[in-house]
Amino acid sequence: MSLASARRQLGAVFRKEVRQTVRDRRVMFLLVVAPLIQTVVFGAAVDFDVDRVPTVVVDHDQSDVSREHARRLLADGTLLRAGDFPGAEAAEHELDDGRAAAALLLPRGLAADLAAGRPAEVQLLLDGTDPNRAATAGAAASRYFGEVGERLARQRLEAAGRPAPAQVVVTPRVFFNPRLKTAPYIVPGIAGTLLVIVTTLVTAMGLAREREMGTLEQVMVTPIRPLWLLLGKLLPYLVVGSFDVLLLIGVGTWAFGVPIRGSLLVLAAVMLVYLVSTLSIGLLISTVSQTQQQAFLGGFLFMMPAILLSGVMTPIAAMPPWLQYLTILNPVRHFAEVMRAVLLRGAGFGDVWFQLACLAVLGVGILGVAASRFRTQLA
Amino acid sequence: MAPAVPAVEARGLFRRFGAVQALAGLTFQVERGELYGLIGPDGAGKTTAIRAVAGLLDPDQGEARVLGLDPLRDPAVRERLGLMPQQYSLYRDLTVAENLQFFARLSALPRPVFRERAERLLGITRLAPFTARRADQLSGGMYKKLALACALLHQPEVLLLDEPTNGVDPVSRRELWALLHEFVEGGMAVVISTPYMDEAERCHRVGLVHHGRLLLEGAPERLLAAARVEGLPRPTFEELFIREIEGAAA
Repeated sequence: MSLASARRQLGAVFRKEVRQTVRDRRVMFLLVVAPLIQTVVFGAAVDFDVDRVPTVVVDHDQSDVSREHARRLLADGTLLRAGDFPGAEAAEHELDDGRAAAALLLPRGLAADLAAGRPAEVQLLLDGTDPNRAATAGAAASRYFGEVGERLARQRLEAAGRPAPAQVVVTPRVFFNPRLKTAPYIVPGIAGTLLVIVTTLVTAMGLAREREMGTLEQVMVTPIRPLWLLLGKLLPYLVVGSFDVLLLIGVGTWAFGVPIRGSLLVLAAVMLVYLVSTLSIGLLISTVSQTQQQAFLGGFLFMMPAILLSGVMTPIAAMPPWLQYLTILNPVRHFAEVMRAVLLRGAGFGDVWFQLACLAVLGVGILGVAASRFRTQLA
Repeated sequence: MAPAVPAVEARGLFRRFGAVQALAGLTFQVERGELYGLIGPDGAGKTTAIRAVAGLLDPDQGEARVLGLDPLRDPAVRERLGLMPQQYSLYRDLTVAENLQFFARLSALPRPVFRERAERLLGITRLAPFTARRADQLSGGMYKKLALACALLHQPEVLLLDEPTNGVDPVSRRELWALLHEFVEGGMAVVISTPYMDEAERCHRVGLVHHGRLLLEGAPERLLAAARVEGLPRPTFEELFIREIEGAAA
């Protein structure tokens, strides 16, 4: 077979795939509309900022001082007053029922203790179901009462004519995402996860469908080589996936204020190597699947850990070391890192070469394995 | 051309699928210009035999040769072999013309050659008025003829047909056989499998497959003559084969 013949064969498979895809409305929906809708919905819904934690107040002191502290603590927005109760038991009941996630217990004699300079104990009951929310609510209360204690100490020292103690003040200056908004951080990651779902599934199902329909045997008795067949099945979805990337970046910029600080060339490069790797994984899955159902389940078996261990939802640095090394094999991780680096920090090729190299090696390697598996399977 | 090389050769093929011994030493040989029938009941191993010859399956033991080449390891076989599988094997969401074009391109046929052959095949299969129809909207007989046309586009020297007349109306069946005889006269070697005994008589030679090997082989006329018992009317093929299969079971 000459190269011209191979190109003809590749073109035939490409054209056939495009025809079948365009004719199947459901696949077109899955490929283009679903990622768009999901980006908009997830971008709006996923918000790591913890605020408005419903908090009930049990004020045993019933003094002006205790009322003022409760009011101020609940005024900064992290905690939201969800009611007042006369006793701790009633407050716990609110936690049990999920109507409140925190309960602030102000002890009897709080005002008198503070005035007399005696230590006072304020209790905070927390619903630890969501550890992140509990920690944030606890931190808000600790910070408030810490400041209260410090202010009281300074007032007492000044009243006694002694100088106030030296203080260390932290002044944070936030780079890249100064308002600490979740969307610019999460949208590039969401784009990566949506793309891995769409592209892996579509190629995993593609070859399995041919096997199930019996068309694969007819193709395999023709002179086409496995690699050309696989490439012909991969390229159309590379085009569709690239279109999706542009669409998602567009939506991210327009609807969620995700900046584009880096070069579009780096974005194009990462898009290409990422899609080749995810599409190849789909092909590899389809070579081990006899039916579309198996391919679908196989796809999920890969996608769930790939998404959860990508650093999109939880930081990779927080994982055990062996797991961190394992994520080097995860294309979603590299894509999300490069997207964030380029979009938010304006990174160039020099900053993300490692991720690009990993993706390129993964993509070509997996495609090679898929092709050789496919060949031996038929022999 | 080396005259000694048979078009198709199966030598002692064995193949097991789990508990099922699909092939148990199947051996047969087909010459150019010969129409050979693999006849046998369902589950006899006919499909497995054809897939082994087509290079779609690796036998546990024994070997298959097509024009002297190994169909599993020599890709050159695929340019000279045509296969029409038993089950649906064309793209049902593509039209008649698109299916033909796709398989022509996979065989790397130059465009003018494809046009001329497609026109001829559409003519003899009488599918020409239906080129824009999707394959899933063809009748059973029309679909089989399209599958045959796709298998013939590259003018193979060896054609393998797995139960091509299954589910086809009698008129289309007769047409299909007429087409096959035409090709065989042109020098093509054809291996056809069928569970229909009446079709055995249309082959030059037949092999009766049972439990993965041949029970009987020869020209239909000669087999019937040999089976004839003095004083009784000539047996039908069906009677002959049922007698052989029951004899093998006993």
